[in-house]
Amino acid sequence: MLEHDIAALLPRLRRFARSITFHREDADDLVQVAVERALSRQAQWEAGTRLDSWMFRIVKNAWIDEVRARARASRLFVPEEEGVHVGDDQAQAQQQRMAIEKAVSLLSEEHRLVVGLVLVDGLPYKEAAEVLEIPMGTLTSRLARARAALQDLLADGTRST
Amino acid sequence: MELTDDMLMAYADGELAPAQRARVEAAMRDDPGVAAAVERHRALRADVFAAFAGVLDEPVPERLRPAPAAPVRIDALAAAGARPLPARWRWGQAGALAAALVLGVAVGALGWRGQARDAGAIAARAGEAVVAQGVLAQALSTRLAADAAGGAGPVRIGVSFAARDGTYCRSFQLGATGGLACRVDGQWRIPVLAAGTLDGGAGGDGYRQAGSALPAAVLEAIDARIAGAALDAAAERAARDRDWRPAKR
Repeated sequence: MLEHDIAALLPRLRRFARSITFHREDADDLVQVAVERALSRQAQWEAGTRLDSWMFRIVKNAWIDEVRARARASRLFVPEEEGVHVGDDQAQAQQQRMAIEKAVSLLSEEHRLVVGLVLVDGLPYKEAAEVLEIPMGTLTSRLARARAALQDLLADGTRST
Repeated sequence: MELTDDMLMAYADGELAPAQRARVEAAMRDDPGVAAAVERHRALRADVFAAFAGVLDEPVPERLRPAPAAPVRIDALAAAGARPLPARWRWGQAGALAAALVLGVAVGALGWRGQARDAGAIAARAGEAVVAQGVLAQALSTRLAADAAGGAGPVRIGVSFAARDGTYCRSFQLGATGGLACRVDGQWRIPVLAAGTLDGGAGGDGYRQAGSALPAAVLEAIDARIAGAALDAAAERAARDRDWRPAKR
């Protein structure tokens, strides 16, 4: 049952979507659109191939040609997170997490996608390249640039706080 | 051949073939700078992974579930005929479809069959939950308790309140059937639905008085959830105007 297998992937799809679009609601809208597309195109999925790669590709395409346009305009705003006022022991981990989420949200779209697939989801390079429909060499150079940009953003954030 | 930073990155990502891996490891032993570069790649990967890992533990919103909610049509319910309602009905015992059936029969029994058929489904299953649809969802979203007395339609709204988890819940009645609906992820989930009597229970204070015709099971469900007092008319209107999104706390 494809529905069942897709349902099992929902947590990972939501996590990937969250790395592409910062806002929870936008991310869930994106996953919803992708799931609907996947179900309407079941015939295009080749049994025996990786369902996760296929779904990630649908998420990526749904983002680019549909959801991006109607996602919240103020992408640069970091939304207020619930639970910011936690105890001191958790506060530091929380701050670190938010700093990284913010830095990822400030990356270019190309870089967010590659970070979401390789660093957030942990896909091997080969699968990530297939999802993005780019050659391996492009994938690795893009990933290296995305990492450098991320390091820079995090270093800036550390200096400013 | 010199090691490129891309190779160090690929090493940190576990992407190198054994021969290249051995070369990087040798270089790491010889050169602290290489070891530090690999460590930077590893640390960034671990940090980014950890930052998003919590999403996996979040409950997945029902709307994302691929199995489409099967709407229960009132006319199909009418065809199933009226059946005796158990005094107390909870999903654990009865299942969502049966719950929708109870709602459908309740609407039918009120002589609202014609309108109800036009309105289509009034409740549907979404995973383990039952969610209001059609006229029921509309009444829950739009009607204020003050409108209910003269309001049109089969649904009467009872008390509205903020639950301890911050969501809004509202009690409602369809004929002798009473229920509770709570706003979760933009839908009205119905955690409890029970047959009751229209002649009212023991009077009391606050919401018990307002909801005196509600079945005991619904009153218990309210007791279990309510944070503070029921909403007054102004608070109810304000909550509706926010589309029942939880108030910022």
